[in-house]
Amino acid sequence: MTLSRSQAKKWVDRVLTQASFGDVRVRITDERRGHLRFAKGQPTTEGDVERLEIHVTAAKDGRHATVTGNRTDDAGLAALVEQAEALAELAPPDPELMPPLGKTTHATVKATDGAAARLGAAERAKAVAAAITTAKDKGVDVAGFLSHAETSTVVADRAGLFAFHQDTRVSMTTTCRTSDGTGSARAGYASFAAGGLDGAALAEDAALRALKSKNPKKVDPGRYTVVLMPDAVADLLSFFSMALGQRAADEGRSWFAKPGGGSKVGESLFDPRVTIFSDPKNAKYPSSPFARDGRPQPRVEWVKGGRLLSLTAERYWADKQGIPSRPRPSSWFMEGTSASLDDLIADVDKGILVSRFWYNRMLARRSLTATGLTRDGTFLIEGGRIATPIGNLRYNDSPLTLLTKLQALGTPERAAFAGDVVVVPPLVVRDFNFESTSDAI
Amino acid sequence: MRTRDGDTIARGRRIEKDAWAAPDARRHFAYHRDAMPTSRRQFLAASGLLTSAGLLVPGPAAWAMPRGAKAPAPGTPPKSAASGLSGSPVAAHAALARVAVEEATKAKAAYADARIVQWSTEGVDVRDERVSGVSSSTDTGIGVRVLVDGAWGFAATDDLSEAAVRAATKRALEAAKIGAKLRADVGAPPIELAPAPAAKGTWVAPFEVDPRSISARDKAELILEASQAALRVQGVKHTRAGVESIVEDKLLVTSDGTEVHQLFMRMSPSLTATAVHPRLGFASRDHEAAPMLAGWEYVTSLDLVGAAPEIGHEAVQKLHAPAVKAGRRRLILAPSNLWLTIHESIGHPTELDRAMGFEADFAGTSFIGPDAAGKLRLGSKKVTIVADRTQPGGLATTGWDDEGVTAQRWTMVDEGLFVGWQTTRDQAAWIGDKASLGTAYGQKYSGVAFQRMPNVSLQPGSEGYTTEDLINATDDGVYVTGRGSWSIDHQRYNFQFSGQTFWEVKHGRIVGPLRDLAYQANTVDFWTSCDMVGGAGTYRLGGSLGDGKGQPGQSNSVSHGCPPARFMANIIDTGASK
Repeated sequence: MTLSRSQAKKWVDRVLTQASFGDVRVRITDERRGHLRFAKGQPTTEGDVERLEIHVTAAKDGRHATVTGNRTDDAGLAALVEQAEALAELAPPDPELMPPLGKTTHATVKATDGAAARLGAAERAKAVAAAITTAKDKGVDVAGFLSHAETSTVVADRAGLFAFHQDTRVSMTTTCRTSDGTGSARAGYASFAAGGLDGAALAEDAALRALKSKNPKKVDPGRYTVVLMPDAVADLLSFFSMALGQRAADEGRSWFAKPGGGSKVGESLFDPRVTIFSDPKNAKYPSSPFARDGRPQPRVEWVKGGRLLSLTAERYWADKQGIPSRPRPSSWFMEGTSASLDDLIADVDKGILVSRFWYNRMLARRSLTATGLTRDGTFLIEGGRIATPIGNLRYNDSPLTLLTKLQALGTPERAAFAGDVVVVPPLVVRDFNFESTSDAI
Repeated sequence: MRTRDGDTIARGRRIEKDAWAAPDARRHFAYHRDAMPTSRRQFLAASGLLTSAGLLVPGPAAWAMPRGAKAPAPGTPPKSAASGLSGSPVAAHAALARVAVEEATKAKAAYADARIVQWSTEGVDVRDERVSGVSSSTDTGIGVRVLVDGAWGFAATDDLSEAAVRAATKRALEAAKIGAKLRADVGAPPIELAPAPAAKGTWVAPFEVDPRSISARDKAELILEASQAALRVQGVKHTRAGVESIVEDKLLVTSDGTEVHQLFMRMSPSLTATAVHPRLGFASRDHEAAPMLAGWEYVTSLDLVGAAPEIGHEAVQKLHAPAVKAGRRRLILAPSNLWLTIHESIGHPTELDRAMGFEADFAGTSFIGPDAAGKLRLGSKKVTIVADRTQPGGLATTGWDDEGVTAQRWTMVDEGLFVGWQTTRDQAAWIGDKASLGTAYGQKYSGVAFQRMPNVSLQPGSEGYTTEDLINATDDGVYVTGRGSWSIDHQRYNFQFSGQTFWEVKHGRIVGPLRDLAYQANTVDFWTSCDMVGGAGTYRLGGSLGDGKGQPGQSNSVSHGCPPARFMANIIDTGASK
């Protein structure tokens, strides 16, 4: 078990009583995690790790410094606070230092699952055995990764802040490749709970799709209508969410900057069906109700009906601009419809179905253009049906294309390969730019 | 939203810090600029006239690097620094590592190792004219790895009490037994390790000034001054700068009788200038200083403050530069750009575990088949590439790897022919080798050791060409320096790289700067098109602290040396692409 709320309180007190500065802030994370990898039909490496991290920030007269350590005896804790205070004395004053947060209120979010917290080597072996056996039955190669963790996080300061959150996380990914090396697909599970973990089901899903992706045909690069599955949508939207900073926009170094000054907040920039929000309290997909610095994570609408409503803002900048301070959120949701993936495909006369993207990187910040490649199942759609598997393609395009050249939206799902909670619908998008082909399977 | 992307040089903060040393082109033009008053220089830079002179000054390679780093490697690690290990907290815990290994051996482990690591960092971050962060961190713990009945078990803890270490060892042993049963159930053969002779000793990566001896105030003042110097350039509206020093103090005890204690210091300086224009938008320029295995002397030798105005000017210049003519063209890559292309297109596909399918769920596999050594031609005769863990300054340079195997140097590509993999002790037998090539590494104490990239470097040519020779020999092409956007597929065929500065080459001369571009190619086509490489005098190290691989993801530090070289590739105008 990682730290409980009352244990966390004791630890915080043990740290803060060592402080001589009036402004000392502390963040502690206590984590236990385990994993098992498998590939070529066999388990490979595994491990269990327990790890505590104590971050102490000391501030005085505008000077501040942060020291991180993991010694937990009284002498170790005292040394940590002493080092932070000594280092702060050496730091040049920071005119943007904000006062400590003090007492705040944030939502209480239930994000732990007893079964997830109890996972160990035996349970891991069972799920992995099921995946390996299923893949063998289907005649495909299998590789994957099962990982689980329990984490307690507490953020506190001498001015009265005390924010505590505990969560569990379980994830499993399974890649199946056909024995001739011409087909590949990946399936994944990600949740705070262990209840839905099913190694056999994941392997079966990946195996069937891998078999369907065998012997891909080469298609020419160019502009296509694309059907993007939720993981592909999440990959591209990450560039959008990373660019959502108010300060960069106000300072003219972001796509969200308005030519001539100011930001694009308030403008109707996207298709009216686009609504993107964050919500730590979602019961099925819970996430942390506070940020690393202890600021609460409320439910925030970033885009509503195609209109940009808010950007993230650090405390100093929010104060200066007279706007609400908004941390980078711990979850992303995009609204959709009740249409299934098959419904979406049925309405496409000619297009490409993308299962996921790979090695995505920002290419041009000014136009918010990114690059990356399709992977694990790319298909040509003709006449509303999947006509044939096709070779992988490199895209050079923007998440803005998704939000402006939107043709249809499907039912939101959690993107299983994203690290954070990202719940997005599959999308149909026009004029998506593929720049070149890749021989990778 | 953060998505997980593996087998990559990680993106994010760490990346911004991995910029690198001054490009050749910058030195070429510094000559003119120093002779001109600032306003005139800026006018010329902005209008592109400055570079139209096309004069190249083949100045001395005065580029800061640790001693010995500019030459391809010697084959034995550099002499250990004399000091650095006294007072090591890791040495004080050596008995715990022995307890863990003894415990595992008693429980019939065929092999066991215990790795105690203290990972310490010190950092200063500057934004515009303020120090936004001063930090230091220490992370200490032990990882115990055991091989029982042909299956691995691993457990790690940051609790360095004997009880906790015994409990972790027990957990690793139990997990290995469960793993052995699972292997038997699914019909997998037992894992076998190639032998390694017992090693005993200490090795400290060479350094002159311990970064821990420099006060946070002095570090902050240096970085602040560099940031301010870039900010003073007209048109530059924002800057970011920083320096991080990382000290890895590591003790490895294995059941082979190995006990080695090593210390590594790595420096990572960075400086970025962003120009903002009301009509033209914004553009950023990163300093190209590489992270390096060295002490604080490396940071001071870079003269960040002196280089800062040029970084600023080139940020502004990017806003005004014309677009590139897209299409298949000659491409001259500076070492500050080429290192990453080597990393992605040669370094990763020659990892044997990838080629065998063991990374298929995440990083991917390889276009190089497991039986390709000695058969696959992947480059022209100009292309000879070595793997090396003995290279001075190399981020992956070591005395011994994390399985107690001595650091080595070997050829991977011999005049275009692929000849050598990267291996660890559990992989050697897969290709009929009797011993590991020593590429096992686990991040901190908490990462399971597995196959990680050594320094992988392109060897200089015997003709002794300079960068200017490559440019003079090129009728129509582009010259690229520094690291920009980078992306490659999961079998390492199709890649696309950008850079920091771009220059039009016409009739053997640089005729002016270009706006953002990227080059795209297939790995084998690209290396086969290589027809000129620079000589030993042009060889430079680039590198990264964020070489990602594995599940859960681990970061490796690795350098790549190379001379400038010339290729053919598809050039894309990324300013126009949308």
